[in-house]
Amino acid sequence: MLTHEQLYGNKANPNFEELLRVIKGQIPSKPVLFEFALNDRLLGILSGEARENNTSRIAPFRRLIRAFTNAGYDFTTISAWRTNTLHFVKGDLAEKESRSLNSGNMISDRESFEAYPWPDPELGDYDIYYDLREELPDGMQLIASGNGGLLENVIDLVGFEDLSMMTLLDQALTTEIFDAVGSRLLRFYEIVAPIETVGACIVNDDWGFKNQTMFSPDMLRRWVFPWHRKIVAAIHKSGKKAILHSCGQLKDVMDEVIDDMKYDAKHSFEDQITPIEEAYKLWGKRISIMGGIDMDFLARSTPEAITNRSKLMLEQGLLHGGYALGSGNSIPEYIPDKNYFAMISAINS
Amino acid sequence: MDLARLVELGKIDKNTPHPPALIGQDGVLELTQLAIKKEIKAQIILNEGLMPGMHAIGEKLSRGEVFITDMLIAARAMNVALGQLKPFFLSGEIQAKGTIVLGTVKGDLHDIGKNLVKMIMEGDGWEVKDLGTDVSEEQFVEAVNNSTDAIVGISALLTTTMLHMGSAVQRLRENNPNTKIYIGGAPVSQSFCEEIGADGYFSNPHGLARELRKAPKLLI
Repeated sequence: MLTHEQLYGNKANPNFEELLRVIKGQIPSKPVLFEFALNDRLLGILSGEARENNTSRIAPFRRLIRAFTNAGYDFTTISAWRTNTLHFVKGDLAEKESRSLNSGNMISDRESFEAYPWPDPELGDYDIYYDLREELPDGMQLIASGNGGLLENVIDLVGFEDLSMMTLLDQALTTEIFDAVGSRLLRFYEIVAPIETVGACIVNDDWGFKNQTMFSPDMLRRWVFPWHRKIVAAIHKSGKKAILHSCGQLKDVMDEVIDDMKYDAKHSFEDQITPIEEAYKLWGKRISIMGGIDMDFLARSTPEAITNRSKLMLEQGLLHGGYALGSGNSIPEYIPDKNYFAMISAINS
Repeated sequence: MDLARLVELGKIDKNTPHPPALIGQDGVLELTQLAIKKEIKAQIILNEGLMPGMHAIGEKLSRGEVFITDMLIAARAMNVALGQLKPFFLSGEIQAKGTIVLGTVKGDLHDIGKNLVKMIMEGDGWEVKDLGTDVSEEQFVEAVNNSTDAIVGISALLTTTMLHMGSAVQRLRENNPNTKIYIGGAPVSQSFCEEIGADGYFSNPHGLARELRKAPKLLI
């Protein structure tokens, strides 16, 4: 196990209040890290358990919490796919290193829409969020996220190209599908956000390709954004903060993310779209900026270059507030461990 | 309304409820059928009737004035018209501009970008051999061996799968040094293109068709 002491020379002392300061746009009293997900190899290194231990329902979460604690985070992210609280059944999603947005679709018309086994979010077992109270170190809280987002799930259920056609040729059915998914995701967040172990929520929903949003902003405004507005309001109603994780080119809708949906923080940035340094300058005064060290940069740069860039971003965050250091998206298996550690080691300085 | 404009707007046929302003009006299907009935040369229907519509929507997509949804429905309208023109392709009355072999690189199942390039190239008068996704170096080589004049387009979504492009380019070069190879995809950049020795990189799906129209002799 790689402990916090081995990484940073001191014992772990998570303090969720520091992350909250960042999310509120304030200057934290220490450098703060943010990450959506760590790959299983890293979880093994950081927890001391090479493989997930399923001997009890708590065991996999204990491993997760230990890994996040040792890595220096003030929180542990916990996704609905881990807690199995809300899951939209998908068709055959063939996967390699990526998967097609056109595969696995189960809904093609009204008949298949009505036959679809819609999940009931009320039936999820939310006890795990309560039971983890005993596992969390003092000062640490959970950040809860959904099992995919609204647009992501609708694309999975219909297929991207078929959904594109449906938005033009059968708008009534399109509306019903978005509402069926959106209402369930809203209920999920209404249930998890008030739980005392949950300090904030990530609403994860990719909206963009490299050059533009996947659907026109008008379509997003019609079918996607109203549900996000409701989800953020539900999270805020519980006194918690809402972090949007959304990949792709979103410049045309960032004002709405901030002013209309009222997200507190934005996560996921790509150098080829808006490098994190530019994103922080563009939007950092209006919404907190999380992570952003580009995935390709993390995968292919030297540890020295990664640490230097990370330090520079941290310095900006400690000068102006509203920034936590992390990757542009997550830490998948293909990011070399030494590069990940080079990034987080920047908080040492 | 002319055929090109109907393609651009994605008005597939009379029954298509899109765009709302043209509900009940003839679409690409009916106008193409009418043009054939009037014995307008198939190559003219294609070159002057249909292709300008795809050019227009492709240009607008590259400028961010329309969205992929608009391109997809325009391509569907174009495909309906190409179905009507199929006998003329088979008889040789219509000649394709050339052949492009397309595929998403090994390990990668992402196909949105590749499919967009396919639609645009078909709409621009090219014969497309779509190898699909998760395409091995051997499959690219075999396809080029079967169409030695073909150009190749390789797509990738991820930083990891992008790296397979380098070996695919190398294998293709070894096999046929004159084959032109173009790359695209979210993580790809001009510098990466130069690094692996590909002939060109385009940041949007319309880029290749546009360049080939500007200087076909130079690029093919």
